[in-house]
Amino acid sequence: MEYISPEGLRLDGRRPLEMRQLHAQLGVVDKADGSAIFEMGNTKVIAAVYGPHEVQNKNQQLPDQALVRCEYSMANFSTGDRPRRSKGDRRATEISLVIRQTMEATILTHLMPRTQIDIFVQVLQADGGTRSACINAATLALADAGIPMCDLVTSCAAGYLNSTPLLDMNYMEDSAGGPDVAVGLMTKMDKLSLLQMDSKLPMDIFETVMQLAIEGCKAIVRYIQDVLLENTKQLEYQKGLRS
Amino acid sequence: MATEEYMTPGEIVGKSYDYIAGPGTYLNPSNNTIYACAVGLKRLIPASPNAGDNRPTVEVVKEKEHGAVPEPGAIVTARVTKVMVRLASVNIICVGMRAVKEKFTGTVRQQDVRATEIDKVDMYTSFRPGDIIRAEVLSLGDARAYYLSTAKNELGVVSAESIAGATMIPISWTEMQCPLTNQIERRKVARVI
Repeated sequence: MEYISPEGLRLDGRRPLEMRQLHAQLGVVDKADGSAIFEMGNTKVIAAVYGPHEVQNKNQQLPDQALVRCEYSMANFSTGDRPRRSKGDRRATEISLVIRQTMEATILTHLMPRTQIDIFVQVLQADGGTRSACINAATLALADAGIPMCDLVTSCAAGYLNSTPLLDMNYMEDSAGGPDVAVGLMTKMDKLSLLQMDSKLPMDIFETVMQLAIEGCKAIVRYIQDVLLENTKQLEYQKGLRS
Repeated sequence: MATEEYMTPGEIVGKSYDYIAGPGTYLNPSNNTIYACAVGLKRLIPASPNAGDNRPTVEVVKEKEHGAVPEPGAIVTARVTKVMVRLASVNIICVGMRAVKEKFTGTVRQQDVRATEIDKVDMYTSFRPGDIIRAEVLSLGDARAYYLSTAKNELGVVSAESIAGATMIPISWTEMQCPLTNQIERRKVARVI
């Protein structure tokens, strides 16, 4: 199938190196200590963070650091009339694990020994790149909760179809079955905390595709930073009005 | 001293030879750089004149407040849930002036109810379930509950309902009276300032 038209446009009209539109909102769940909605085009993810609080299951308690838990789920209505993925729970467990490991690497867990931090992410609308969107939403929610982190982690995926590197693939491109490189970047430190790939790529092309994903991460962090700063200013302003 | 500068996690705040890393920041010893670890306003606190170190402390102030947590020495307000022979169980409602978000339980042991004749205390004439008490946190206690003490004049029952259901009026250090029935009930009464 042709994923890039002769004019050099993708199925949804983007250029190969173009990202989908980003949108984020903080504090969407009242009960949670921190929460966020993150959208990348039609992919929409909600994340809620509870904690640090006492460990629920005492024998999981860690004496020198916080216990980070993550639960990923997909809303039943998120996939619309597309064929339902039958992999079911296996896929959810794997993504939960990936998100947990990525977030644990950036949270300063040693500052909060004998506590637990719960991260819940749910996909409201799936259109490819849910894994990346979940990590970005979790980062926002953690920052909203005020949990100390050594850096902001962002994630972005890139693929390679019709011998062209593509940034931030959507569902149609994802289901082409080509290579899909998901990258998690600690942006200020320039360290990778996540690197996953489906299918195979030659070494030199892999480098360029990974570099493309990294550039995507850097673009996302600029947006995330703006959202966080804007939200903080908003809170300051509200406080100023009250006092 | 107010520098209007907002920080996000991972941003460089300063160098460790210029500043001391305060709350909301962390220090990377390998390159002596202080980074932010929270979203918030950067603030400098000048060093106290009598400290040997004259570097100012830099901190990143978080906008969101976290729930209050009891710590030893704090005065808490609590509701009595259960009275037993040797101890009373309570639910902590407030720490100082701030309400708690999560559930914290505490226990007032028999020897911590009052300062004198601590072995002759009768728990049943000191507290009743439903009473609101003010207490001091003695220690973090065991895995289940904080240890609280009411062994001070200003600590003890501050509000209690009588059997008739009215809020009682304190009449002495050990007694409270119901305004409806004039019945006297015994409590470890706090002197409210």
